[in-house]
Amino acid sequence: MRDLPPSRDLLDLAQRLSADELPPTERERHAHLVATARAIAAREAAAGDAWQRKIAQELVEFYDHSWRPGESRDPLHGRSTGGDMGPGFRRDDTANGTGRGAGAQDLSFRLAADLRNGAFETTPSREKAARAILWRLVLAKLRETNPQFLAANGFE
Amino acid sequence: MAATALPPSEGALARFLADQSGAERVEIVGFELLAGGAIRHNWGFEAEFRGGRLAGRQRLVLRTQGPTGIASSLGLDEEFAVLQAAFAAAVTTPEPWFAGADPAICGKPFFVMRRVAGTAQGRAITTDSALEAGLPRLAEHLGRELARIQTIRPPRPDLPFLPLVAAPQHIASFRAYLDQHPQPRPALEWGIRWLETHQPEPLPPVLCHRDFRTGNYMLDGAKPTGILDWEFAGWGDPDEDIGWFCCKGWRFARLDREAGGIADRADLYRGYETASGRRLDPERVRFWEVLANLRWAIIALQQSDRYRIHGEDSLSLAFIGRRATECELELLMLLDHA
Repeated sequence: MRDLPPSRDLLDLAQRLSADELPPTERERHAHLVATARAIAAREAAAGDAWQRKIAQELVEFYDHSWRPGESRDPLHGRSTGGDMGPGFRRDDTANGTGRGAGAQDLSFRLAADLRNGAFETTPSREKAARAILWRLVLAKLRETNPQFLAANGFE
Repeated sequence: MAATALPPSEGALARFLADQSGAERVEIVGFELLAGGAIRHNWGFEAEFRGGRLAGRQRLVLRTQGPTGIASSLGLDEEFAVLQAAFAAAVTTPEPWFAGADPAICGKPFFVMRRVAGTAQGRAITTDSALEAGLPRLAEHLGRELARIQTIRPPRPDLPFLPLVAAPQHIASFRAYLDQHPQPRPALEWGIRWLETHQPEPLPPVLCHRDFRTGNYMLDGAKPTGILDWEFAGWGDPDEDIGWFCCKGWRFARLDREAGGIADRADLYRGYETASGRRLDPERVRFWEVLANLRWAIIALQQSDRYRIHGEDSLSLAFIGRRATECELELLMLLDHA
């Protein structure tokens, strides 16, 4: 669920690139980005995968009992659906550095596909629940990546 | 931030400039890789022209392609033609001088333009207290500039390559990108669906700069000296650039100032409406602002792909994909009033 590239890749890249090779006008920004990479990595380490587990659980509960007309059919995470997700939706079985297994990834893809297709637009309670998951996901990612931006927008 | 970029060949460039300008001789005084330019490289330099139509000392910029780009950017020769059209329409923009493709000069196509004075740094512009009093006037001026850009309309025999990209094409391209992205982005999908179901009636197309924002105009003191970076230009809706200018991603240090971090919308709108004679509809602008957030999110992910997929070693590019999540927050704030 975490954004790409993973923070460990950002740290590796920061160590590999020497500020000496950069034009003077870019060096200050480079130093800022290196510090930001370290800060993101520290916040991710401190947070662990608790918020990802929580959102994964919410997705399981959101899709748990039944599917409704218009929603893609994928009742069990990790199972291939055979093409109901819409053109191009991938069901990558790797976590891609996002810290969760295929199940959470699949349900996130399913939510994305359903939102693309307007699957919840005739069921206000489902739409509201889907939006609540979006809020939690986005806020959780920004708490790690850019808490200053959250604060500037009035969020803690 | 490119790890390394080799400067152009001084000798070959001097000969090219002499040929193009009719000078007997051109002497170049060093190169400086200019800051910014995520897709293009910009080399600032000075040159002494002996004779010819640019006789004397000139400050110039050579603009060329970076190591990789993104699909929606124009070719260098195309960007040069757009810049010529804008300059001819009296848009405040660096005067375009010569375009070339001689590989001996910098190994790829390039063009040369006048170097205008000032800074384009968005953070500096939005935090400099010395500029404060003049910022509403600046926003009004930029509104007038935008109206002037929009006097360029299809069909134009000098701009046959420009694509018409209306809302449905934007929506299709966003989805096509997300279809091959390795991560699900449900918040972006939700925003795109909103676009799909809220499209306004299209207006006759005009030239859209498509990156008209704070950070892409030069300011010398309080005076605007040039609108830069025309690589995304194309035909499109007249409200598209308004939405892009007001998109939160381009407000830098002043998120509260909705017109590019410099002023209230009213200042920008006044300049635009006065010069264009067209009254802006807030609902239409809102649509294009939502689209701007989505477009910026997709561009940020594409820029990050230059590191993630194409191996361009740049910390700046690697990081930029994470800004897509800032756009997701803004989409939720714009669209979820529940």
